[in-house]
Amino acid sequence: MNDTGLEMGPRSLDSSVAEFVQENESYYSRQFEKIQGTTGFALSWNSMAALFGPLWGAFRGAWGFFWSFLVLELFALVQIGRGLWGELGAEQMARYEKMLVNIAKREEQARELIAAGNQADADAKLKIASNLKRVAAEAKEKADLASNEALSILVTGLILFAVIKVLEGFLANRTYEKQYLNWRANPTIQSGVNKMSALFGGFLIIAIWPLTLFRFTVSDPDKKLSALTGGFIGDRIPITEFPVNREYFAILAKKGDAGFDWLAINFNHVFKGITAGIRSVLDGLEIILIDTPWPVVMIVIVVMALRLAGPRVAIFTAASLAYLAFMGLWKISMITVALIGAGAALCIIIGIPLGIWFGKSKRAYSFAEPILDFMQTMPAFVYLIPIIAFFGTGKPPGVLATLIFAMPPVIRLTALGMRGVPESTKEAATAFGCSKWQLLTNVELPLAMPSIMTGINQTILMSLSMVVIASLIGAEGLGALILEALQYAAKGQGLLGGLAILLCAMVIDRIAQGMYRRKVSGV
Amino acid sequence: MSEDVITLKNVWKIFGDRAEEAMRAVESRGLTKPEVLKEFACVVGIADCSFSVRRGEIFCVMGLSGSGKSTMVRHLNRLIEPTSGEISVLGKDVLALNNQQLREMRANHLGMVFQHMALLPHRTVRDNVGFPLQVRGEPKSVRWEVSQRCLNMVNLDGYEDRFPRELSGGMQQRVGLARALASDPEVLLMDEPFSALDPLIRRQLQDQFMALSAELNKTTVFITHDLDEAIRIGNRIAIMKDGRIVQIGTPEQIVTEPADDYVRDFVEGISKLKLVFAHSIMEPIDSYQLEAGDDLAQSPRASHGTDLDQLIDIATTTSHPIIIQDDDGQDVGVISKSRLLKGIQGGKA
Repeated sequence: MNDTGLEMGPRSLDSSVAEFVQENESYYSRQFEKIQGTTGFALSWNSMAALFGPLWGAFRGAWGFFWSFLVLELFALVQIGRGLWGELGAEQMARYEKMLVNIAKREEQARELIAAGNQADADAKLKIASNLKRVAAEAKEKADLASNEALSILVTGLILFAVIKVLEGFLANRTYEKQYLNWRANPTIQSGVNKMSALFGGFLIIAIWPLTLFRFTVSDPDKKLSALTGGFIGDRIPITEFPVNREYFAILAKKGDAGFDWLAINFNHVFKGITAGIRSVLDGLEIILIDTPWPVVMIVIVVMALRLAGPRVAIFTAASLAYLAFMGLWKISMITVALIGAGAALCIIIGIPLGIWFGKSKRAYSFAEPILDFMQTMPAFVYLIPIIAFFGTGKPPGVLATLIFAMPPVIRLTALGMRGVPESTKEAATAFGCSKWQLLTNVELPLAMPSIMTGINQTILMSLSMVVIASLIGAEGLGALILEALQYAAKGQGLLGGLAILLCAMVIDRIAQGMYRRKVSGV
Repeated sequence: MSEDVITLKNVWKIFGDRAEEAMRAVESRGLTKPEVLKEFACVVGIADCSFSVRRGEIFCVMGLSGSGKSTMVRHLNRLIEPTSGEISVLGKDVLALNNQQLREMRANHLGMVFQHMALLPHRTVRDNVGFPLQVRGEPKSVRWEVSQRCLNMVNLDGYEDRFPRELSGGMQQRVGLARALASDPEVLLMDEPFSALDPLIRRQLQDQFMALSAELNKTTVFITHDLDEAIRIGNRIAIMKDGRIVQIGTPEQIVTEPADDYVRDFVEGISKLKLVFAHSIMEPIDSYQLEAGDDLAQSPRASHGTDLDQLIDIATTTSHPIIIQDDDGQDVGVISKSRLLKGIQGGKA
């Protein structure tokens, strides 16, 4: 039991400290006792830590200490380096010299022009030259100022370094005591002293410090490095940027092009079939929403709002429809709604069964989860390209783009709802002889319904947000109106179109929420 | 009368990925529960359980949480598959049933009541009670009629159109009981049905259940962690510990002859007045007369099945020892005052 330090009493505490620190036990147990016996800041000085800094941290496995002071010391060292040998103001100096050359050139040209008798042009050249001289003087001034700062930078760096050392000395034992407490709870945390990890820490310091110091204290580090290393580092392997151009990228991009082309040609009929399927759903909805006389559609929508969500939503719906109608946006609004409707319907038809499957099978879900994340986080423009390649432009590809973006919520929330069905309820149903299908339809789906309804609602709203993007690949509707406004910077048109989309979204959302509330508050 | 409805033989259940392996190791090497956990990372849920339940009997399984009692009852309708052993219910080998037969068995012959009711929240009380019948494919008219009758049985008529959430816990559990009775099963499995209820409601439901049980005469396996409840309800009691059955017996046997210290600890606080009967504390007339001389002339007489409670009543009316008779009216023994007191104290003189 002693090895985990679980036994109480001062003796076992001591022995576990000894086991933790391995070397210098008496020193550390005294220091730990001091820290544990003090409220507030305990003055506990560790000379080794102050002397070796990050290396001490690596040796003792205090990696937080190691990294913090690696960076801090490096910062102080850079200041010292800049103060000692840094060519401060070198950039300004180079600029100044370049300008001097330039001025000389202008003056030379002016002299030639005077010799040729062209006084006017010569005056212009001289004027440029005198302007340049003023700028050059400024640059010179800045450069001088910077090189005068060297001493103060050096002093600052030295003070900083000293402060860091003091901090190291005082913080080391506190950090180490915390690590000890963590180790008591979790024995896998590094304890004792370890030469290998000290070696590793040394390696990290060697890998990080010199190059960084060089980069920040020397002007034009690549050239100087290449002079130092005989053209290997700095010339063939520059340190200021990664030595690769876009050659690999270009090759892969070309391969990608070829792959897409191959798919587009060889699976043409599949893509055609999908397009036809989506189009048939879309056509059906458009007949209902557009070809049906507008009074009928309006009445049905308002009555639906009244029955499902109450009188207030119904009034809001009527006002919204009036806005759409009087702005002359009725038809394209209905096209948009048909687009969303088709998208949402397909999302639900495909998404709910998938959600059920993922809810039941953990393995399938863990497989699908990254794909769903991918569908939601991938910028729409990225998948618009292959969609155009495979499905062309127009409304069906627009619906497809909507599907990719809007399907994940209904899948996720269906799966969530399915997993939220209490195991005991399922067990009870099974105990009464339910088959799997009976369990699904009588128990799991009804209990998951609130979650599923939330998913459907989210899917509808996300479809709406895709309207403008879908218009990029030729889907008509309100999105196209806004896209047009964007292209011609037509502010008024954009505003009115945006408001129309907002109203559509709110009407659909309110009606859907009303349905959902009715469902939740009892069938 | 004493036909066995449920029989378990050497049933084992080991949970874990390497259950089969662990089972073989248990069989060949006789590993204990902690050894199995250490070696195979498997948990022994049920260890070598055998018992049988007779027709019409209420068989209580008593144990603390984690003793495997709920796991055991789930073996009877195969909600949990045993790792090894034989289980037969109503003369059928449960483990040999295919899915279809198993569902048919559950739907027609086994009713179950759960600790947490597990009612369907989106259905009315009526549709909850009718659910087992719906599963069986009965038409709505039958379902409604049966659920009405079952709700009457548990005194819940008038609540048919309520939703479970509108009912109190005790009422919900009565709905659970009505649901279990709806398919008119031969066997009732009750998994701590009253444990989640407060003591007053629990007692009411126990009474109601016992009355119903006497009327319907269903074979019942009743799981509980409450020994008082087990003694009150059970015809026989099995006491479980760590997946094993420690003792099976009538309430009297459990109280008066605890099989080991574990059971003895349990029965310590149980009142023996109604559980211990005259025949187990009386002494033969001859030896009594040898010790105390003959003063039995004015002694009252009582049957050998009289419990301690009644014996105390008799003893307070007389200063003489009580003569105990057998079923045929023969004097078979004597209980003196001191013997009676000893009996109250220890259950057994």
